[in-house]
This record gives sequence, structure tokens and C-alpha cells, in this order.
Amino acid sequence: MSGVSLERIVKRYGALEVVHGIDLEIAPKEFVVLVGPSGCGKSTTLRMIAGLEEISGGTCRIGDRVVNRVAPKDRDVAMVFQNYALYPHLSVADNIAFGLRIRRTPKAEIASSVEEVAGILGLTPYLDRRPADLSGGQRQRVAMGRAIVRHPEVFLFDEPLSNLDAKLRTQMRAEIKRLHKRLGVTSVYVTHDQVEAMTLADRIVVMRDGRIEQIGTPMELFNDPVNTFVAGFIGSPPMNQFEAVVEAGERGPVAVANGARIALPALESLRHAQGRKVIIGIRPEHASIEPMPGASTVPVELDLIETLGSEALLHSSIGEVPFVIKAETGGDTAHLARVEAFHVAPERIKVFDHDTGRVLGAARMGVAA
Amino acid sequence: MTRKNTTRFGRETMRKSTLSAAFLATTMLAQPGFADEHLRIVEEPLELTVHFHWPRNQGYEEDYPVEQAAREMTGIHLKDATAGRNTPDHNEAMNLLLAQGDLPDIVGGNRIKDPVNQYGPEGAFLPLGDLIAEHAPNIQAVLDAKPELRDAMASWDGNIYYVPYLPDGEFGRAWFVRQDWLDALGLERPDTVEDLYQVLVAFRDQDPNGNGEQDEIPIFLRHWEELIRFVTLWDGRSTGSDTYHDFYVDNGEVKHPYATEGYREGIKNIAKWYEEGLIDPEVFTRGTSAREYLLSENLGGITHDWFASTAGYNESLQEKVPGFDFAPMLPPESISGTRIEEHRRTPLKPDGWAISYANENPVETIKYFDFWFTEEGRRLSNFGVEGEHYELVDGEPVFTDAVLTADQPVNSQMWEIGAGIPRGYYMDYAYELQWTSDAAREGIELYEQNDLLIDQFLGVSLNEEEQAVYDRYWPSIQTYMLERQQAWILGTGDIEADWDEYMAQLDKRGLSDVLEVMNSAYERQYDS
Amino acid sequence: MSQQEHIGPSTEELVVEAREALRDRTRRRAARLGDHFKREWQIYVLLLPTILWFALFLYKPMYGLQIAFKDYSIFRGIDGSPWIGFEHFRTLFENDQFLRAIRNTVIISFFTLLFGFPAPIILALMFNEILNQTYKRAAQTIVYLPHFISTVIIAGIVITAFSPSAGIVNTVLEWLGMDPVYFLTKPEWFRPIFIGSGIWQEAGFQSIVYLAAIAGVNPSLYESAVVDGASRWQMVWKVTLPSILPTIIIMLIIRIGNLLEVGFELIILLYQPATYETADVINTFIYRQGLQQGQYDLAAAAGLFNAVVAFVLVMTANTISKRVSRTSLW
Repeated sequence: MSGVSLERIVKRYGALEVVHGIDLEIAPKEFVVLVGPSGCGKSTTLRMIAGLEEISGGTCRIGDRVVNRVAPKDRDVAMVFQNYALYPHLSVADNIAFGLRIRRTPKAEIASSVEEVAGILGLTPYLDRRPADLSGGQRQRVAMGRAIVRHPEVFLFDEPLSNLDAKLRTQMRAEIKRLHKRLGVTSVYVTHDQVEAMTLADRIVVMRDGRIEQIGTPMELFNDPVNTFVAGFIGSPPMNQFEAVVEAGERGPVAVANGARIALPALESLRHAQGRKVIIGIRPEHASIEPMPGASTVPVELDLIETLGSEALLHSSIGEVPFVIKAETGGDTAHLARVEAFHVAPERIKVFDHDTGRVLGAARMGVAA
Repeated sequence: MTRKNTTRFGRETMRKSTLSAAFLATTMLAQPGFADEHLRIVEEPLELTVHFHWPRNQGYEEDYPVEQAAREMTGIHLKDATAGRNTPDHNEAMNLLLAQGDLPDIVGGNRIKDPVNQYGPEGAFLPLGDLIAEHAPNIQAVLDAKPELRDAMASWDGNIYYVPYLPDGEFGRAWFVRQDWLDALGLERPDTVEDLYQVLVAFRDQDPNGNGEQDEIPIFLRHWEELIRFVTLWDGRSTGSDTYHDFYVDNGEVKHPYATEGYREGIKNIAKWYEEGLIDPEVFTRGTSAREYLLSENLGGITHDWFASTAGYNESLQEKVPGFDFAPMLPPESISGTRIEEHRRTPLKPDGWAISYANENPVETIKYFDFWFTEEGRRLSNFGVEGEHYELVDGEPVFTDAVLTADQPVNSQMWEIGAGIPRGYYMDYAYELQWTSDAAREGIELYEQNDLLIDQFLGVSLNEEEQAVYDRYWPSIQTYMLERQQAWILGTGDIEADWDEYMAQLDKRGLSDVLEVMNSAYERQYDS
Repeated sequence: MSQQEHIGPSTEELVVEAREALRDRTRRRAARLGDHFKREWQIYVLLLPTILWFALFLYKPMYGLQIAFKDYSIFRGIDGSPWIGFEHFRTLFENDQFLRAIRNTVIISFFTLLFGFPAPIILALMFNEILNQTYKRAAQTIVYLPHFISTVIIAGIVITAFSPSAGIVNTVLEWLGMDPVYFLTKPEWFRPIFIGSGIWQEAGFQSIVYLAAIAGVNPSLYESAVVDGASRWQMVWKVTLPSILPTIIIMLIIRIGNLLEVGFELIILLYQPATYETADVINTFIYRQGLQQGQYDLAAAAGLFNAVVAFVLVMTANTISKRVSRTSLW
């Protein structure tokens, strides 16, 4: 298996630059997810790896080979498209075999390859059907079958699940994960859905406006977002963020917001920061409705309870600022209606610079693997 | 001049008065006031609706100066009620009119003879014989003078249903030869078929246009059907009327020219000439631009075409082709020594007007029709309005200079003012002579001096059973005839080898049945 | 039987019940329909002009078709003309020229379809491969142009082009050392010239519909094929063509429906008695026999025959297409 290496990759359409010099090293067999809001350049980057878009600047390598000027078919990549790109006039078997036929693979080999792939994807009963007669999930599997059957060095996925309904999406997510484990092919996966990114990725690349914001494992991004953007993008529901002013407390720095006083972690940068405006980030999971030793208590006004089953989302507010708390229900929501405050341990709190949005303190920056 | 024996005085006077007397009377009586009144038909203005479909204008304009003048003189106002104004096809317009059932008072225009004679006996149009005899002395006078016209106009039931447009003048098409080419090669005008052949060969081979190339086209024609006319040189016939491929009358019997020995001989020789390159190889497709193109490129030698327009090239091409002299010549003598010009102006057009069954004023209408055959009416319909378009000089109408020198041809100008349009009227050849070029006039005189004209077949009106037989067989016979004709000329068939088979096919396709009904109709129509 | 009467309702009772149920259902359905109209009347008002148009211009004229079975006189009118059954059809089929016209119609139609149908598709595929937009637009405009020229002018152009003395075709033949040919009087040349000039006139314009279909092909199909390693030729063959196949089939069915509608204006302008043998089609036959001679009833019979054959053709084509390719007009 080969890795993929992007060095200062730039994409320009005329005078308009949409990807501004991306650096990314993808290890062999790694599953990397590019995630970001639409227009962030993630698909463009993927298409540059595939060779569907010309690379305006920088170097793209697959394995040891610079592929900037290599035709798509010679890059040894396979791509799965958002709308599956199945040929409506061909049967499932012919769709899967399309790439092999184009390459004039011997017939017997095609037949056995298709059979094998169909087996892997559970498509064997449907080989003679046309795409129009398949469900969305089955079509997606055929699209993947087309990619798998060629045994490429790299899989490229361009939002492959966004046309499926929620349930199928969950199911297919798991299938893709399993498949990657089984085949171990280097994969680059583009999505705007952070859940997909979290569940699938070995490493996530968060992009915004043609730049990489952070690269890291899902847990790294979850625990140590480098800025308010990543903090807000990763995690569901997203991290609560609100403005506050730093004051000196009895045992360390304290954030004051809407009359609430919240003890902050003892960060070096906050030691002499009285009066500094910051943004406080607290994940809904880390706001507890049970008192804890050493935790700050923040009074809230409860607006709405969203019950998810074992958990519930308490939509509340600190003064004017909305705040979401994720709480265990314990099988009953009655006691949640009486919540008047949450408790949060200082070490769970993220503090971001008010102007740059960058995290303060010891949060590690994402480092290329 | 005898043709001007019509006057407003009625039959009684007409018989007695000489032509000059009539003229004198006209000039004397054509005073303001009186002249306005003596042609009046109704005291109170009477409006009559009219369907009037013709090629130049699919309708009858109320503001034609001629219509205005006629209103003043007669008191009768024509109101346009033409069906199918949006189609140039007069057949279609007529069908539309008949199909809508609600006929206007007068139905007139282009080619109304057949529908009028077909639907008149069914009750759509009034028979005009008695009306004319009682109320239309001027029309009656013409019919009396030319009884064959009355026969030709009649429907199969013996009645006449329309008052026709009667053309004047005799010659239409004529033979033209490049006199300057003859002179250049030192040849005489061809007088016999053999002469003609020698001239054509000389035109082909001896480079009469002097450009060093054998690009001359000895015989060229705008309408390929004119080529068939050449069979008259071998005593054949191509048609009996001014319609191509029509029947003709031989010793009182209707025949079809394409089933005669003369035709066989003629086509055989035409095919030979075609083969030898004496006839425009593209004669079948060159079309109406052939004359303009071949004359102005100095390529064409001999043609058969209209006097006036063909002679006109002598003037228009003088600069482009120096010494250009395209002269009318007499038809060469046929192999049997007869000299005929098959084409002539028909004395009777299928155009004119008729009175519909819905007309509540048939007497006034026939009197109105008669008005156009009076001296004043005839002048009005030929020359336009006196003082405006023509002046009377020594009792003869003469176009004003404005009309004669205008950019537009005189006939087009007349059509625009409502003169010369296909209403029932009697054309006056003097109208055309005034703007005919000298070259054409000389030609016409040449033709007039020789007895070239032959009798025309003026058509028959078939009754229902006859029509059914005709419709059933004739179209496919004609198709077959024309197919063979072109094949023989083009050399893809040999007329000598094919002739017996051809005649057998004609018979099989029902030619004898068609001839039988044609002859029975002919006898009914012309022998009575 | 008497036992049965006690066991259940009698047959009469059942019938009555069934009738009532049916009446009930009908009443309910009528009520539902009434409600439906009340609710959706705006939509039906919008539909009205189209229905009227069809009724007035397509269905009402069908009334006139009956003259094919009548001895028709315009003045007597359609209703006043007597019935004569299949007399006109008998007359037609006894006429060898009509039979020849049928044969010519079929042959010309068949070859027009064979050569004329693929031409715009090929043209559209070729246009699609032009990358330079300016050049593409210019080329398209040039091939559309003949469509907008009147048939009379087209005939003039054809006659000039094939003229033995001045025509470009014969000029080329002469360069090649061949003798000039008077094409338009040669029966064997009529069909190629007619069909060719038809293609020349219409292929460009007809290609528009295929270009539209090509524009509707999902671009990711091409991208996928590119990644799979397809060449441009393979993409045309394996992606574009199959993707526009439904359009092609619909157009084909429509074409087959119009198969016998040979563009007879052009034939009338191009043919000669010398070429009737190969050129005379049903429509020109009708024109000469019927319209020129005023035999509307006979012309109507020939036209009706033409329409019936066309109807059968389009039904057959549609059924075959539905079975084979799952694409159909209805």
C-alpha cells in the first residue's frame, strides 16, 4: 500500500484561489477523513488527488511517485462518488466490472473478481439487476464494489453517504469501517458530517476556507480542539461557547459571564490575565447536573428538555447565552425539570482567545503523523 | 377594329350603326352630367358582395380607382367578401368558399370556370343565358359574334354560369433566333426542319459567340414542356390549348397528342437532337432562369417564348453582349411543309365572374356585368380612369406619359388600380400594344402576315359520370405519358422499341374510355 | 334449493344487495369526483385551452375523414355526399402507380431512417467533443442554418449543386476525370440525393435534442469513467451513448410514427417525370391525383391509408421498445 503526500497544494480557478497550500501526509493503510463546511476545499483537494482537477501548485505524491501530471487512470486510485455514478444501462455485475473491462482484464479474471467483491459486499443476489432496481444502500455498495474490484492503492470517497437516510448511513458507515479493516487500503474520505468523520477516521483533517485548521485523531480533536472553529465543528451537540472576562479567584483564575463565576484551569497564560476577554468552551457532556467536589456551580434557566432515551439534552441559558447540558436520564426525566444549575470541573473547561479564537494553554497543536 | 362593335345603345342600334358612328356618339355623349347618368343601373346605391381571388391580390379592394369610377357610373358598389385571403392558391380559396356554403352575391377571380360549371348545375350558381339575353345586350353581342366561345363557356347541362375574361390579341409565344450568330456564321434563318438542324449543329460546333469554347447551347427553354412543342416540326402536337399536355381536336374528334404518330416521330427526333447536344442538356431542371442566364452569358441560340418579354432582352442586354440581336423568326416548315405556331393566346380565359344562388339582385348584377362590356366599361377595365391613367386621343385611349414611363410595368400598374384584373371583361389589345417593344411588334406583324394559327381546344364541361371516368383514369395516364416522354428524350428508353408497348399501356390504363367521355362531352357542347 | 334459501340470502337478495352496493359506490365516487373538481377547479381551467385546442384542431377535423368513404362534393358538403364504401380504396389499390408510390414511400422512408436517424446523433456526439466554446458555437450555428431555409431555396441549391454544367458535384467529378452526370433525371440517383439533402438540411437542427440529452448526463459518470481509465472514445461509446439511449429511442419511435410522412414538398420540387419511378411517394401521388385534380375524397382515402400504416408502425415500434429497452412513449 502507498501513502499519499500533499505538499503545499494550491488550487486556483483563474485569479480565485480556493485551496491555499495544503500540507498533508497520509500513511499507508491510514483512513483519513477531510471534514469541513461546504466550500472549504475538501472535495477539491480530493479531486486533485484523483486527478479530476488539475493541481495549480505544490506537489502530490502517491507512494513515491509525483502524480501532478499523471492521468487519473494511471494513478492507481479508485473513487466513490456522492451520487454513486452507476451506469443505469448496466447490470450490477457489469457496473462492477466496468473498470476491469476498460483495462482489458481477461474475462475469467473479471468474473472471479466480481464474484469475490459481490461476496464481500453482499451483492451476490443482485448481480443481474439494474441500478434502478436497487435500494440506495445497495447502490452505494455497488459503487464501492466498483472501487474495490480494481485493488487500487488508494480509495477516494467523495461524500458517499450523503444521499442515504440516517439509518442507512449509520449502517453503511459501519460497513465502510469494516471493509477498511479487512482490505487495509489507504483511504481519503470527504464528508461534511462530523459524526462520519469521528466514527470512520484514523485521523481527521478539519478544513475551512481552503486551509487546514487541525489534523488529529478523533479523540485529539474532541479533547483538544485548537480553536473555536474545530471545537464547534467536532462533537455533537457542539461545545458550548460564550464570552467571559477573566478575574483572579481565590484558588486561581475565574471567568465571569452574566454574573456566573466559573473556575478556570490554572493555565500559565491566565495567571496575570485579569480583565482579559476570553471565550469559554464547555462540552455538554462535561456540564454535570450533580454537584462535584472542586467544580464551579453555574445557575441556568431551563428552556426545553430534549429526551434521547438514556440521555437528554437540556436547552438552557446563562442569562442571555444559550447553553446545552447533556445529562443521564436514569430512565426518568422528571428530576431534570428541576435543574437550576450545572457543575463543571475547571480541567474540563477550554479557554480561547477572544480575538483569534485560538485555544489558550497546553492544548497541543495538531502534528502531522 | 370590328371587334369594337359594342355600344351602350343596345342591340337595335348596334346592328345599324357603323363603328365610326358609335365612336362619334361616344365622344359626343361623353359629357359631364349626362355621361355619368346614362350607365346608371340603380338610383339608390346598391351593395353587392364579391369573392374575388386572383394571383396578385387575394381580394377586391374597394378603393381601386377603377371601382370608384364604376360606382359613380353604375351606382353599384362591390364589397369584398373573398374567402381564403391568406392563401395564394385559388383552388383552395374556392373550396373554402363553397364549403362554408354562405356564398356572396358574386363569385369571381382566377380559374372559376371549372368550379362554376361543376357546382352551377348543382344549384350554387345562376344560369346566365336568359339574364344575358334580356338584360345584357353588350355581352350578348360578343356571344353572338363568337358562338364558339359560348359553347366553350357552357357547362355540361348547356347553361353558361359565368361571364368570362376574354383576352384579345392572338400571338403569345414565338420562335426566336440569335440573328447576330447567324450573321457571324454566314447562315440564313432556318426555314425547314433540315435548315434548323444545320443551324443548330453550326451553333454547337462553330463557336458563334466567339469565346473559343464549345459552350453554346443551341436550343434552350424556360419551361421544358416547350421542348415537346418541337414535335410540331414532325407534324405532331404537344397540346390543343394554352395548358400543357392538353387534348386537341382533329377533324371534330378529341384526341390526345401523345398518342399519335406525329408525336412518335417528333419525340424520336427530339431525343436524337438531345443526344447530339443540340438541346440544353439541363432543359428539365434549369427552370425559369434559363432565358435570363443563357442570354446574358451569350450561350443560348434558339428558344420558343413570349414575344414581348423575350424581345425585351434586345434592349436590356445591349451593353453586356455587344451586337446582341435576338430576332423573332417564323416557325420552320414541318416535314410535310406546313408551318404552324401551336401556341396562341386563348380567346377565352377560365377567369371571370358568376352570380351565386344567394344573390337577390340578379338583374342588377347582370346589368352590372354588362357595364364592363360597354365602351366606357371596357376602357375602364383596360386603361383605368380617364384623365388619370389615359387620355382619349382621336377617340382612342392612350396611356398618359406618367403610366408609360413609370418604373413599374404597365400591367402591374393597372393591377394596382383595379384594371386588367380577372373580372368578366373584354381585353383590348391596344392596351398592350402601347407598351410592346418595336422588336416584338415587328415579330407580331411577321406572324400576322402568315397564316400560322390553328384552332384551339377550349375545353369541355364533363357531367358527373364523365367526370368520374376522367378522374379515375386520366391522372395515371398522364403520369405514365410524361414518364415515358422524359425517358425517351433522356435516352433511357427507345421510343421506336417501346411504342407498341406504350400504346398498349395507354389502352390498359383507360385512354379509350377517357377519349370516349371527352368526345361525348365535346359533341354535346359544340355541336348543338 | 329450499334448504339453501333458509341458510343464506336468496340469489335475488344478493343481486339487489350487489346493485345497491354498486349504486352506493357510484354515488360515493361521483360525490368524490365532485369534491375533487370543487377543490382542484383551477387546474382544470388551466387544462381547458389545451383540451379545446385538441378538440378543435385535431378531433373535429377527423369528422372530415369520412369523405374517404363518400362520393364527396364540396358544395353538397360532407353530410350531403353519398356513401360509397371502400370504392376509393379499391380504385387506389387497382392503380399500379399508387402501389409504386407505396413502395417508394417505404424505401425512401427506410433509407431516410437508416441514414438520417443516426446522423444528428453522430453530429451531437462530435459537437460534444469540441472543447473550444467559440468554435463549437460557430460550428453549431452553421449546421443549424439549413433548417431555417425554405424548402424552395433548398431545392434550388440542390438543383444547382447537381447541375451537369455548373454544379459543384459534377465539377468535382470532372476533376477526377469522370463524365458529368445529369443526376436529377436519373431514377437511380434520386433517392440518394433526396435523402442526402434531407440530412444536410435537418441533421444539425435535430442534433439539438441530443445535445440537450448529453448535457443532462451526470458528470460524475464521466469522472468515474476517467478514474476507471476510459479513453474519450470509450466514454462516448460506454457512457454518453447508453446515457442518451432513452432519448434516442423516444426520437426513434416518433420518427417511425412519421416514417411515411416523406417531406413531399422537396420531392415535388426535385422530381421529374423521368424520376417518378423512384421518387413518386404517396404524398406526391395524392398531390397530383387528388389535390391538383380536385379529387378530395380519393386523396382522403390515400391519406387515411397512410395514417393507418403510420399508426400501426408507431404502435409496433413502441411495443417492441417497451419490451426490449423499457423506454416507450406511453
